[in-house]
Amino acid sequence: MKREVVHDIEQFLYREARLLDECKFQEWLNLLTDDIRYWMPVMGRRYRAFSKGIKILDPGRYEEREFSNEGELAILDETKDSLSRRIARLDTGMAWAEDPPSRTCYIISNVEVREGKTESEMTVHSKFILYRTRGELEQDFYVGSRQDVLRYAGGDWKISYRKIILPQNVLSQKNISNFF
Amino acid sequence: MNINKLVDVDHGLIGRSIFIDPQVYEQESKMIFARCWLYLCHESQIPRPGDFCTAYMGEDPVIVWRDTQGNVRAFLNVCPHRGNRLCRADSGNAAAFTCAYHGWRYGNDGKLEGVPYQRSAYNAEFDKKKWPLPEVAQLESYKGLVFATFDPSAPPLREYLGEMAWYLDAFFDRLDGGVEVFAGIHKWVIPCNWKVAAENFCGDNYHGPWAHGSAMNTGFSARRPRQNDISRFHLSPGNGHCVMGRQPNDTSDSPEVIAYEQEVRSEVRKRLGSRIDLVRPAVGTVFPNFACVRGTANSIRVWHPRGPERTEVWSWIFVDKQAPPSVKESIRLAGLRSFGPAGTFEQDDIDNWQECTQNARGVISRNLMLNMQMGLGEEQFDQDLGAWSSGFCISESNHRHFYRRWAKMMEATDWSKLGMGEP
Repeated sequence: MKREVVHDIEQFLYREARLLDECKFQEWLNLLTDDIRYWMPVMGRRYRAFSKGIKILDPGRYEEREFSNEGELAILDETKDSLSRRIARLDTGMAWAEDPPSRTCYIISNVEVREGKTESEMTVHSKFILYRTRGELEQDFYVGSRQDVLRYAGGDWKISYRKIILPQNVLSQKNISNFF
Repeated sequence: MNINKLVDVDHGLIGRSIFIDPQVYEQESKMIFARCWLYLCHESQIPRPGDFCTAYMGEDPVIVWRDTQGNVRAFLNVCPHRGNRLCRADSGNAAAFTCAYHGWRYGNDGKLEGVPYQRSAYNAEFDKKKWPLPEVAQLESYKGLVFATFDPSAPPLREYLGEMAWYLDAFFDRLDGGVEVFAGIHKWVIPCNWKVAAENFCGDNYHGPWAHGSAMNTGFSARRPRQNDISRFHLSPGNGHCVMGRQPNDTSDSPEVIAYEQEVRSEVRKRLGSRIDLVRPAVGTVFPNFACVRGTANSIRVWHPRGPERTEVWSWIFVDKQAPPSVKESIRLAGLRSFGPAGTFEQDDIDNWQECTQNARGVISRNLMLNMQMGLGEEQFDQDLGAWSSGFCISESNHRHFYRRWAKMMEATDWSKLGMGEP
């Protein structure tokens, strides 16, 4: 992996985060491929199969898996079209969850870049802290990780897949009205 | 505390302290949540022996557990030894749980099976049979929906539901096999009193076009607000339950789901009867805190009280079990894009509900009597629908039915004084 590629991708992710902080959502949308899958599973709580807290009755049915799979319930499961409509919603003058708008500060870190399935794709893991303020003194922290596929097309990187992991069983935030 | 002074349904007035007063909260915990039939889970979440999921009845944690014989039972999720939570997972499959504190072990029949050092540390009189997991007083399923109550004197579930049972059929028993829920639960905490959320799902058609205008206008629901909707929009089948109905041919779904609905129409009508030609039930509430939605999203949800100013929402997406995979996927996506924590409809409700609750902290604003007078005196009992029906497509008639029941339950110590079947 060339250092310049890693550097380019890091800069790409930082620029993306800044566009979101600056509410430049149309520009953000342009960073996504038309066939993007963008989703956030829900998290359950399971005992480890070897836990002495549980005596499993039917081992064949037992799963330790905590996060929902594709096709099960998710918090977000979006296409470019549905994301663009979420953004259009903000411009209707009636998107009350974001009017007055919340303010955000995205911190992106722990960027790992690996080669993807094709020459023009990279698999990128990163961590995020999304700090949000709203109303008079509300503060929310959304802390998690992202598994991205970035595709090189038209002279720049674009995001063609993003799985957002928010490791919370019960969300303490009153809603999710921002992008990740 | 004079509840009737706070809830003056006949004049459509409501005192705001019911949303904020810790004494009111304490009383409703005892008089409503410890007595009413409360929703636990859908049977499709725990199909096999040993399957369990955890739930709440009010603020009491419970384990809903299919025992080795296949019977669904529900126990307080509290170890009777020192009060620790027994099961810390939210689902799985188990013959027994062992408390993480001192190691007391309970089987899926609720019996205490093991006590470490029992023979040496306890005297001979200690009898494990006397220390089972406390079980709910009654548990029953209706069309796959599992409800329970801690009150042994509560009427049977079917009687508690009354005419609401047919309206639940119109959500959950439209086709052979009923419905199933997708794996996973949306769980999140919203900063409002549970009744603010509950009353909204009981009968607030009024807020739709304004509070949800952004989602309606950007394609998150196929339904468009109309100015001239006919009556029969708000229905109260009695006992505090509420339904928001739409016109029978109204739809809020994707073209794919609309085509599916046309395909199954005759079978649905065969099961539900001719009443389904009069109304499309779209949103329902089983008193006090169970709600369901069909159209735009297919959601089953519970408003768990978490103190006067907080509510924990649990929401599932359901589909007809026999619907084809493409229809199920369409309903899944429409559901999570419109309702749930990131739902384009749901997120716009929360700030409104939050302010409606928190603004009641001030002494002056707390003493305001709020207005729920819309359509006052216009509702009439509709024999065909088996319910009190509002006079117009927007009305606060269901709010009044909900709070009338709430006020009765807050004061009546005996179910016989509640008047089953009445509003």
